Amino acid sequence: MKFTWFHLMPYRWLPADFRQRYHSVWVDLPNALYDPEKGHDLYNEYLDALEYAEQCGFDAIAVNEHHQNAYGMMPSPNIMAATLARRTSKAMLLVLGNSIVCYNPPTRIAEEFAMLDVISGGRLIAGFPVGTSMDINYCSGQNPATVRDKYREGHDLIMKAWQTREPFAFNGKYTKLRYVNLWPRPIQQPHPPVWIPGLGSIETWDFCAQHDYNYSYLSFSGYKRAQNMMKGYWERRAALRADDNPHSAAFFQQVCITETDAECEKLWWPHVNYFFNNCLHLYPGTSEAPGYRTEASLRAGVVAQFGNTTQNMGIDKTWKQLVNEGYILAGSAETVRQQVEELAKTLRVGHVLLGCHIGSAPADLVANSTRLAGEQILPKLRHIYSDYEDRWWPKALPASRRVKPGATVPAAAAR
Amino acid sequence: MTEPKSRMLDLGSGRPKLEVQEAGSGPNLLFLHGAGGVAWDGALGILARHFHVYAPALPGFGKSPSEGLELIDDQLELWQTGFDLIEALGLDKPLLVGESFGGWIAAEMAALRPKEVGKLAVLAPVGLWRDASPVADLFGLTLGELLPYLFYDMKSKAAVNMSALTSLMSDKDDRTQAQIDALIAIFLGFRTAAKFLFPVPETGLERRLRRIRVPTLVLWGAQDRLIAPSYAEIFAKQVKNAQVQLIERCGHLIMAEQPEACAKEIQRFAGV
Repeated sequence: MKFTWFHLMPYRWLPADFRQRYHSVWVDLPNALYDPEKGHDLYNEYLDALEYAEQCGFDAIAVNEHHQNAYGMMPSPNIMAATLARRTSKAMLLVLGNSIVCYNPPTRIAEEFAMLDVISGGRLIAGFPVGTSMDINYCSGQNPATVRDKYREGHDLIMKAWQTREPFAFNGKYTKLRYVNLWPRPIQQPHPPVWIPGLGSIETWDFCAQHDYNYSYLSFSGYKRAQNMMKGYWERRAALRADDNPHSAAFFQQVCITETDAECEKLWWPHVNYFFNNCLHLYPGTSEAPGYRTEASLRAGVVAQFGNTTQNMGIDKTWKQLVNEGYILAGSAETVRQQVEELAKTLRVGHVLLGCHIGSAPADLVANSTRLAGEQILPKLRHIYSDYEDRWWPKALPASRRVKPGATVPAAAAR
Repeated sequence: MTEPKSRMLDLGSGRPKLEVQEAGSGPNLLFLHGAGGVAWDGALGILARHFHVYAPALPGFGKSPSEGLELIDDQLELWQTGFDLIEALGLDKPLLVGESFGGWIAAEMAALRPKEVGKLAVLAPVGLWRDASPVADLFGLTLGELLPYLFYDMKSKAAVNMSALTSLMSDKDDRTQAQIDALIAIFLGFRTAAKFLFPVPETGLERRLRRIRVPTLVLWGAQDRLIAPSYAEIFAKQVKNAQVQLIERCGHLIMAEQPEACAKEIQRFAGV
């Protein structure tokens, strides 16, 4: 199995009484609360952390896409990935943006992903989220009744653009282009691996199985609560006669790793608390636009759809509850290793996306957690599922063929 | 009022099958519902004492399958669906009455083919926009928070009835199948409304208002918080044959909150 270091890039400086004063961390939180100078510090700190994850042996580093959101400061994941493409050389770049429906024309995504793939020497994993309803409907104005249709069309256009060597016309319902002719085109053939992040809708499972894409379940509630959902995923794959290759699935799990079990709560609780009680403070009125999910998915998840979802999001839980219920895996590297192993085996996932930064965690705490994972967890678990081929991993240029950034101007590199 | 009769109406190939409810006798009245669907316990039931009321349900509302929404691609096809209904029901220049979402459709129909509409009555229609007085976000509020935008008097019978639905919104997983179906029905209806009204319910009606030539009644709740009554003035200025009537002690859902006053105005306007 493989390990990806995943950053959400939360804003660290929400006021202490944030939950009392504001109704959501997302969509309509006034940007008066955002201090761009502090943002300067945070972007650079967070990119440092991602780069350090490569040094610690993570197989991939990951960024994602959210809009008008204080817990995810990456409206453009491609910009983040572009900086990482230049500052890293070994780790794969998992970009779990781009929400296809938000870009017009969608060939922009094909172009930018191709650029990232070419710059990085073929290290790109291309993410195609439908996007949360908050991101795509409320923040980007996309119509909830038609987004899934628009998504499928945009996806088809991007895939065709990547794989076609002559200009072609595309007469879609949402996009009409007389000349589609991608410059540049990706290094990876026939195209970079595609991962689809999701929250458990049947349509997304079917879409992944149909196209042989990886399904990345991005849950904040941890692996114990994900058992039923992933069981559903594997049953659905079986019903569709897709194989049971564990690498077809990825799971996001937040972890807090410290030298000893005893010190973990003291060091991490303020930052975990910040995440679950500030960053996940959502207003139900703008959490899901009508039509965003199909009737079948509505019926399957009727509580989450209609209820106040705070109960399952980890809000107002104690450290002990969050740990016991698996929202976070916390403690020494060995303690966390055991749980990651259980996660991988019970969910049957070949890819684990570790959230080593949580909430307001400072750089040193995160770096230590990252180092411990790299030294004591990753090497001990990599063998799991190694007998399955990973069809969802980049086919990058050999390391010897990749250009070292700065190498073409020796004088500049020497400075 | 006699019990409304319901039937499924086939509008032809490639077009949706829609439920149409009918009640009463008298001059033909085609009613286009709002985002809440067709309800007979308000003004519509009273109107059925004086008119032959036809109340179709758009896809996702009532018994009309929500899949039919895929057959109505854009707003032009939505307005055409309105004329399909007039034709399939065999109506000749009916009185067209539309509330909120349906009021917008009715106004657009009258602007598109003025000769096929007898008279037009719009009840707090959506479709216009002024930055100084933004229309509230029908799709960005919880049901509980939406209610004060819909009613002037939260203690009115209609408001209390609708409040009961908010109890279905909870963390608990103990809903009956009927409750789940009720919630799904609300969301499927809203999905249809969202297809045409999300994210900002304005697509150029104001430019087309001058095309409306038929006698037009514009009713507005004097205390409408969803769409401010000041929007009625735009109709008054730009529709040549328009008469505007504000209804006091009334929020956005005129038919539900002030059924008698609402029906009376429509009867007076129609001369019935």
